Amino acid sequence: MTDAEHTLAEIISKVLLLDMNELTDDLKRGDYEPWDSMAHLILISEIENEFGIFFEDDEVVDIWTVADIRRLLSKKTSS
Amino acid sequence: MSGADDQVDEILKSVRESPTYLNLWSAYKKIQRLSPKPSEDAGLRAGIAIIGSSTLEPIAACFDVKVRLEGFHPHTFVGGFNTYHQEAMNKTSELYKAEPNIIVLAVDAWSLLDQEFLSNYPRMSSKSRSAAIKELVSSITAIAEVLEKNSTALVLVNNFIVPTFSPLGVADNKQKLGFKKFFRRANQLLEEKLESISNVFVVDLDSVASNFGKSSTVNWNTYYRGSIPFSEEFTPIVANEYMRYFRALKGFAKKCIVLDLDNTLWGGIIGEDGIEGIKLGPTSPGIEYMEFQRALLSLHNRGVILAVDSKNNFDDAIKVLREHPHQILKEEHFAALRINWQNKAANIAELAKEINIGLDSIVFIDDNPAEREQIRQTYPEVMVVDLPKNPRLYRTTLEKLDVFDVLSLTKEDMARGEMYVGKRKREEMKHSSTSIEDFLRTLELKVRVKLTDDFVAPRVVQLIGKTNQFNLTTRRYTDAETKSLRDAEESAVYSMAVQDKFGDEGVVGVAIVRKKNVSWTVDSFLMSCRVIGRSVETAFLAKIIADANTAGARRVIGEYIPTKKNTPAADFYERHGFAKQKETGDGASWMLDLARGTVEVPDWIDLIEE
Repeated sequence: MTDAEHTLAEIISKVLLLDMNELTDDLKRGDYEPWDSMAHLILISEIENEFGIFFEDDEVVDIWTVADIRRLLSKKTSS
Repeated sequence: MSGADDQVDEILKSVRESPTYLNLWSAYKKIQRLSPKPSEDAGLRAGIAIIGSSTLEPIAACFDVKVRLEGFHPHTFVGGFNTYHQEAMNKTSELYKAEPNIIVLAVDAWSLLDQEFLSNYPRMSSKSRSAAIKELVSSITAIAEVLEKNSTALVLVNNFIVPTFSPLGVADNKQKLGFKKFFRRANQLLEEKLESISNVFVVDLDSVASNFGKSSTVNWNTYYRGSIPFSEEFTPIVANEYMRYFRALKGFAKKCIVLDLDNTLWGGIIGEDGIEGIKLGPTSPGIEYMEFQRALLSLHNRGVILAVDSKNNFDDAIKVLREHPHQILKEEHFAALRINWQNKAANIAELAKEINIGLDSIVFIDDNPAEREQIRQTYPEVMVVDLPKNPRLYRTTLEKLDVFDVLSLTKEDMARGEMYVGKRKREEMKHSSTSIEDFLRTLELKVRVKLTDDFVAPRVVQLIGKTNQFNLTTRRYTDAETKSLRDAEESAVYSMAVQDKFGDEGVVGVAIVRKKNVSWTVDSFLMSCRVIGRSVETAFLAKIIADANTAGARRVIGEYIPTKKNTPAADFYERHGFAKQKETGDGASWMLDLARGTVEVPDWIDLIEE
C-alpha cells in the first residue's frame, strides 16, 4: 500500500467505524448501515480536504462502494 | 468494568492522542454504537443538547466526546434541522425528555433573516434596518427564555458571526447602520437582553471565529451539500468554547496558579544577576515579564489565587517582591510562598495544604522543563503549562489557558486576595497561641446564617457548583434548581457568612434541607475550605438543628457520599453526635434524634441569625 492508499483507507475505516483490516472493496453504501448520508457527506469532505480535490455533485451521488472511491480518487490525483 | 467500557476507553485513548475532527466524529459514532451504560455515579452523568437551524450532529459529536474525555458519561440530544422552535416550545419534546444539563441554541442569523436581506440591505432605510435587528434578536431571546423556563439546564446561546463582507464596501461605517454594524448591534442587544437571566449565557461565537480566522470557519462544500455550519477545523474549536461552560458548571475550574520566579516572573537568575541585573522593566527585555505579571494580577483581582514555588535563597527572592520598582506582583498578592531549595513537588504539596485546595485545582507555571516534568510525574493531577521558551509568549499562553472560568463572579471572588492576607495573619497568630481554643477565642468569630435571598443566591449557586472538599454530598444544583429549592415550602436553602477580626470572608457555606413531617434531611452541606478549622460548620449545623426543633421536627438526617476529594468532611456527622443509620449504595446516612441530643454553638462563635 502506498502512503496515499493508506491515508485513504484510514479515512474510510474511521468514518465507516471499521478496523483497517475489516475494510473491503465491495462494502456498499445502503447495504452497510453506518454508511448513511451523513457518513457519506463526511467521507467525501475528509477525502477532499486530505487530497486537495473536489467531487462534483453527480460524482458524490455515484459513489456506492469503497472500490468506487479508490477508482475516482486515483483518476483525480493522477490527472 | 464491562467490555463496552473497555472499548470506550480504547476509543478515547486514540482521540486523546490526536483530537482531530475525523477522530472525534469517529469516536462519537463508535461509542454510540456500543451504547455504554450511563455511569452509576450521578455526578459523572451529563446531559447535553444542541438545537438550532442547521445540521448539528458534527458539533454535537465533538462536544460529546470532549465531555467524555474529561471523565464524564454524556448523553447527547441533537435537535433536528431547523426544528428548535418546536423542540423548545413543546414541554414534552425529546429535548426535555433527555433532561439536559446544558442546552446550546445554535441559530444562524441568515436562517432568520429575509432571503432578500443581503440584496436589499443597501437600499433599506435606517428605520427598517433597526426594526430588523430587533426582530432578529427577539426571535432568539424568546426561544432562550422558553428554554430557561422549561428546563433547569444552563442555556448557551451562540451570538452571530459578524460578516467580513459588506455590500457597502469601505463606506460601510459611514452609514448610520452599516451592514457590519447591523450584526454588531444585534450581538450587543442579544447580550443586553439576556444579561440578567443568570442561567442563560451568550457564547461569543463571533470572537471565537475571529480568533480562529473567519475565512476558515465554514467549508462551503459541506455548507451547501448538507447545511453543516462550521468547517472541519473550526467545529472542535467551537466545542472547546462550550467546554469552558461545561467545566464551570461541573465545578472543574482551576483555582490557583503556582509560579516559578527566575526566568518566569523576571528574566535572569536573582541569585546570580542580583536585583539590578534581572530583566524587569518598562522596555524590552523586561517589559515582557511586566506584562505577563499584569495579566496574572488581572486574574488575581478576580479571584484566582497566586502562589510561589521557587528554588532560591529566600532573602534574595523576597527582596525583588518587596523592593524592585518594576515588580508588579507584590508579597501581598500571593496566598503562600515556598522559596527554598526543597524539590518543587514537595513544595507544591505543601502549598496545596496551606492554601487548602486540591492539587487538581492548581496550574503550575515554570520555565524549566525538568521541573515541569517532575511535577507532572509526581502529581499528574496538577495542570502543568508547557511554557514556551520565548518569554514574549508567556502572556498569550496564560491568556489562552481558559481554565479559570466560573459562571458568576461574586464579591467573594473579587476580595479573595485580601482574604488570604487575613489567612496568613491568622496562621501567625495560631502559632503564637497556647491552645487552639485560645486562638479561636481571639479571632472574634461572627457567623451569620440566613435563608438564601436573591442577593446572595449567585454566590450560593457558585459554592454548590465548585465546592469539593468540605462537601457532604457533592450534589450540584443549577441556578434554576436552587431557585426552586428556595421557593418550595418543603425545602430550605441556608447560607452562612463568616467574619473575624482579620476580615470578612463573605458567604462561605450552604446547606439545603428537605423537610418531611417530623424529619428534616440535610440534602447538601458544604463550606469553602478557606474557613475549615474554625468550627463554623458546628455553628451552622447548630442553627439548622435549632430551626428543626422550632418547627417541631423529631429527627435530623444527614448523608455523607464519599468522593475522591471530600474526606475532610467524612467524620462531620459522627463528631456532632449523629448515629450511623445505614450504609447506602454510595455512602452512609446519619441521624440525630432531637429528643436525645442537639448541637451547641461553640462559645467562641457569635451566631447571628437573620
